Amino acid sequence: MPSKTIHIIFITVISGLAWVISFPLNEWFSDTMPRHQLLQLPAMLLLGILAGLRYSRLIPIRFPWDVALLIFIMASLVFWMLPRSIDTAVIHPAFNRLMHVTMLAAGFLTITVLRQTIFEIRIAFMAMVSVMVFVTGMTLVTFNILLCSSFNIDQQKETGLRLLITGMFFAAGTLFTFFSGLGKKT
Amino acid sequence: MRRDEMKRVLIPVIALTICFTAIWKWTLGFSAFTVFSYTLQKAGELPRSFPDLAMISQDDTVFHLKDKRKYVLLNFVYLNCPYVCHKVNNQLERIYHLFDSTKVPSRLEFVTVSFDLGNDDVEKIKKYREYFGPDIPGWTFALPYHTDQKSFDQFLRQIGIWKYTVPGTGIINHSLFLYLISPENKIVQVFDPARENDHSVYEQINLCLQKQSI
Repeated sequence: MPSKTIHIIFITVISGLAWVISFPLNEWFSDTMPRHQLLQLPAMLLLGILAGLRYSRLIPIRFPWDVALLIFIMASLVFWMLPRSIDTAVIHPAFNRLMHVTMLAAGFLTITVLRQTIFEIRIAFMAMVSVMVFVTGMTLVTFNILLCSSFNIDQQKETGLRLLITGMFFAAGTLFTFFSGLGKKT
Repeated sequence: MRRDEMKRVLIPVIALTICFTAIWKWTLGFSAFTVFSYTLQKAGELPRSFPDLAMISQDDTVFHLKDKRKYVLLNFVYLNCPYVCHKVNNQLERIYHLFDSTKVPSRLEFVTVSFDLGNDDVEKIKKYREYFGPDIPGWTFALPYHTDQKSFDQFLRQIGIWKYTVPGTGIINHSLFLYLISPENKIVQVFDPARENDHSVYEQINLCLQKQSI
């Protein structure tokens, strides 16, 4: 199959999935906090990562732009984990779609930057994401007051617990990358 | 510093500044992370005027808080709430019983307002009040009087209460704050019952009453 056709198919599939998640399934995803925060948000991030895996090499990113982009990615993740942002996203679908676009971009840029940046920056970024996910999970689990008015306290705790587990996996991944990278360096 | 070195420092710093400023503005200076705290802070600094609202009590009496000319501790609930409203009212009941009859009702009154205009009525709030005992003078249960949903929502926003009806469930998620309104009809204190215990609320109200005596 010609490569141009493959590109068209790939971009159509990614765009189609993003549209399905963002439009027809948006109401279903916004129904509970775990669906919104643990399925919809990572799904968009994953689609961005998939696009990044395929096209990241086409965009050369050098220092200091890689650091600037990683700061943007971190800030996006922080912003979309704030209870006020989550509530606004659930109540206003247009704002939710802004989250989807940001997550797509964040996923794409994460792969693009991590593939090209230096080892130390890669590790620092991965460690920060692990800590952020872990701390968010801990906050949601330990707070006995409702933080997001669109959901309920049980969903909040369930989301927190799953984020804690995700944070642990991220931390394990960071350690693995760190030690395997050290081995290569020496 | 050479131009290249300058660029290496400035680009990440500018990115950080932009992201930091965006989150700083969104959270009102890193102080409002939830819609509840954001709505409260957006309503303005304390002390501020309490907007007028006609209410009807469990005894079918229409009243305005500004006419009471005494301290009022105000909270909002809805009777179909599955859990937290009753918990807050239980806390309010404990605070109520910490005050003796020299203060309640002569200098301080408790007012609990339902904001479920579609389901709650005078009969229901009267019955609900009875759960807190037969003898609770100075604790009024009320409903907004002749107020449509839009005006009432606007009133809630003005005082800093966030309210969101979860679609299809009838559940109303809302701020739990307790408002202390002065005899001059100003909101002078806002308590968060989830963070403050009964004695802390009691002592802060007492302090206001003492200041008034002086």
